[in-house]
Amino acid sequence: MSVPAEREPATPAPVPALEVRGLVKHYPGVKALDGVDLVVRQHEVLGLAGENGAGKSTLLKALVGLVTPDAGEIYVRGEAVKLRSVVDAANHGIGMVFQEQSLVPNLTAAENILLGGEGAAVRRGVYRWDVMRRLAQEQLDKIGSNIDPLARTDTLSFADRQMVEIAKVLRIEQRSQHPPVIILDEPTSVLESKEIDTLFAQIRRLREFASVVFVSHRLDEVLDVCDRVTVLRGGRSVGEVATAGAVPRELHRMMIGSTGSDDHYHENAAAAVAAEQPRLSVRGLSGRSFRDIDLDVAAGEIVAIVGVHGSGREDVCRALFGIEPTTAGEIRMDGKRISLPNTRAACAAGIGYVPAERKTEGMVGPMSVAENMTLTKQKARCAGPFVAPRKQAGLVDRWIERLSIRTPGRDTPIQRLSGGNQQKVVLARWLIGGDIRLLLLDHPTRGLDVGARSEVYRLMRELAAGGVATVLLADSLEEAIGLADRILVMNDGRVAAEVACPNGGKPSPLDLVKEMV
Amino acid sequence: MSTPVAMQPVAEPAIGANSPRPARRLTGFMPLIALAALVVALAVADPDFLTLRSLTAVSRTAAPLIVLAAGATLIVLCGGIDLSIAALASLSTVLLALWLPDLGGLATPAVIGVAAAIGAVQGAAHVLLRIPSFIVTLGGMSILSAVALVVSGAGTVRVVDDTPVKWLDLYVAGYVPMSAAMALVVVALIAAILKATPLHSWVSATGYSESAARLAGTPVDLVKIGAFCVSGACAGFAAAMLVSRQYSGGPTMADNLLLPAVAAIVVGGTAITGGHGSLWRSLAGALVVTLLRVGLPIVGVPSAYEQILYGAIIVVAVALTLDWSKVSIIK
Repeated sequence: MSVPAEREPATPAPVPALEVRGLVKHYPGVKALDGVDLVVRQHEVLGLAGENGAGKSTLLKALVGLVTPDAGEIYVRGEAVKLRSVVDAANHGIGMVFQEQSLVPNLTAAENILLGGEGAAVRRGVYRWDVMRRLAQEQLDKIGSNIDPLARTDTLSFADRQMVEIAKVLRIEQRSQHPPVIILDEPTSVLESKEIDTLFAQIRRLREFASVVFVSHRLDEVLDVCDRVTVLRGGRSVGEVATAGAVPRELHRMMIGSTGSDDHYHENAAAAVAAEQPRLSVRGLSGRSFRDIDLDVAAGEIVAIVGVHGSGREDVCRALFGIEPTTAGEIRMDGKRISLPNTRAACAAGIGYVPAERKTEGMVGPMSVAENMTLTKQKARCAGPFVAPRKQAGLVDRWIERLSIRTPGRDTPIQRLSGGNQQKVVLARWLIGGDIRLLLLDHPTRGLDVGARSEVYRLMRELAAGGVATVLLADSLEEAIGLADRILVMNDGRVAAEVACPNGGKPSPLDLVKEMV
Repeated sequence: MSTPVAMQPVAEPAIGANSPRPARRLTGFMPLIALAALVVALAVADPDFLTLRSLTAVSRTAAPLIVLAAGATLIVLCGGIDLSIAALASLSTVLLALWLPDLGGLATPAVIGVAAAIGAVQGAAHVLLRIPSFIVTLGGMSILSAVALVVSGAGTVRVVDDTPVKWLDLYVAGYVPMSAAMALVVVALIAAILKATPLHSWVSATGYSESAARLAGTPVDLVKIGAFCVSGACAGFAAAMLVSRQYSGGPTMADNLLLPAVAAIVVGGTAITGGHGSLWRSLAGALVVTLLRVGLPIVGVPSAYEQILYGAIIVVAVALTLDWSKVSIIK
């Protein structure tokens, strides 16, 4: 690996606070962790970088006992441990501030901080508010916060709630006599920039008496606050970078790898884009989390919408399928104005949607491949009002073959297929009617391995070549750039920029990032 | 060379992770095993049990329960529950008894129509107001009971001339009660319609995963309202069976059928969380429940213990059939 050399400390290195060796975790169809190595030194802030699906969340979950690894070892201060639960991890001094905040909103900060560990604050089942206040204040003092312990949590700002969470996590100090390891998973995603500064000051303060693992999508943040960064890709650690002097581009290159196969996104198969009137034309579309969206997609064109979490791009996509309500604007398909009060209307207009959450929203797990495939376009398998078994069998088998879906049979429950094959069935659902005009793909490759991703990409190219217009919310910037003919950058609910993205003239991820934040 | 090698390893890794719990496999046969065991046990306890006369009596008793459970099964398959079926059936007996003198032969279809409409209204309230079906039908149960009391003047309504409903109390070929035969027809008809049309996909998808069904463009709301409508119609038909047998309607006549009906559904192995199950299972479940009911006195248990049995059956059957992977938090 072309890894910048680590500056060797002058004194012999003390035992790492936390070390992970060869951690492996399989999920059906996916290898989430494929032998990850990780070292967290004492009193260091370690950054964890990687694209979606690189294995970050699984690794973090393994570190706090929410996921049991299939193989590999976790060492806490040199001692091999098995972490079976969050309590287990806490007993070893490992605590995590979760991405989705885990505070009970209608309780006070003090109650939240002491939740589940009230100790002396409860006598004979009754709260002793003076003790509780004092104990909570002790925790808040550790991080130098001046939040009133008796304030109700839902009256606090996001940043203050995060401080409460950190104070709460620091309670694990009482369980282990060693400096704790605090994991922060995407702590900045809900914060304003000023609040982020406060958080970073806090993280630097934590370093005095703890080790910190910091995860963020924003590479500049990672470089700013961390001492060292470990990069994950495809469930493996692919490199370590000392942050002093490093630039985001370098990190990013390691995250995406040397995209190896030149034609990973089948760019040469990009379809010719029809020049006449657009297939989909959106003007001034506004909703709860987006305003004044203009969007054109031509037949055969793939338009990617990129943006950070909270940019509103998911909601735009859902609005185009009649899920998210809109307050203003118009939507035209092939020049004809349509209204989308519900998903039925969208289906009838020739719009298809592949949701990001495949297992809960995309497919009905216990139902068969055939039933899942024909769920929307029932007419395709029916004669009159009745299901025609032969017609269904022929239809489904044809599509199984056409999309090379690997399944024991058409009657196999879809949940037994691998992720990639499940996704192909979900895609086929929109194709069997032969009337698909616009496909909305919300993270169509989420959780898929490299081979399955490639097949989905090829399928997207084929559909585009067949004249289907596509709106893509990609898993990563690289994917968006590789697949799209045009990219819309969304920021805070608005279209911030539109970037042409033709084969041979692709923009760089950094060009897009500039507009995203 | 054309060995489908690629087909081999496909599902292997995933099967282990998704295979049903062992208990789940057993539940497929549970209602039939229970049914057979009960028949044997009762035949041993009372040699007279296996006579034609007693079997006829059992099937006649079971008929209204089968019809009620069949309708409610549709709602459970959609992921909801209908607690109002018994109260609606009671109200229907009152209406039928009141309308028979004026409407004659049209009274039965009229009552079934009204019951279906009441079911549809509850379904619409559940769907449009986004209130859990449990709450809607709990409220419905109370309202319908009260309406039945008001309409009947809080007393039994006698049927003087029962000719228009008499046919339901006759026997086919001398031994098979017409009511039992009609109950079978109802189950077979609904099951066949489900199987032969896209409705089966729609109902299952709605029950297994409503959000996935909605995102696939399934008419989830219509399916649910339809299920409530059919359940209401079944309650109306069950009422006609009761009236034909008792020559009267009463504001609480069918009330004691609610727990047995729910028990029949869950004993049949239909998942209370929705999606998995069938009407045939509920038929078997209803027979099991009926056999227990007639069997208790035979083995010497006072019938006062009946309710304890239903309560225990429901809890145990749900414990055995619940799909734990689907419910992360039990409320």
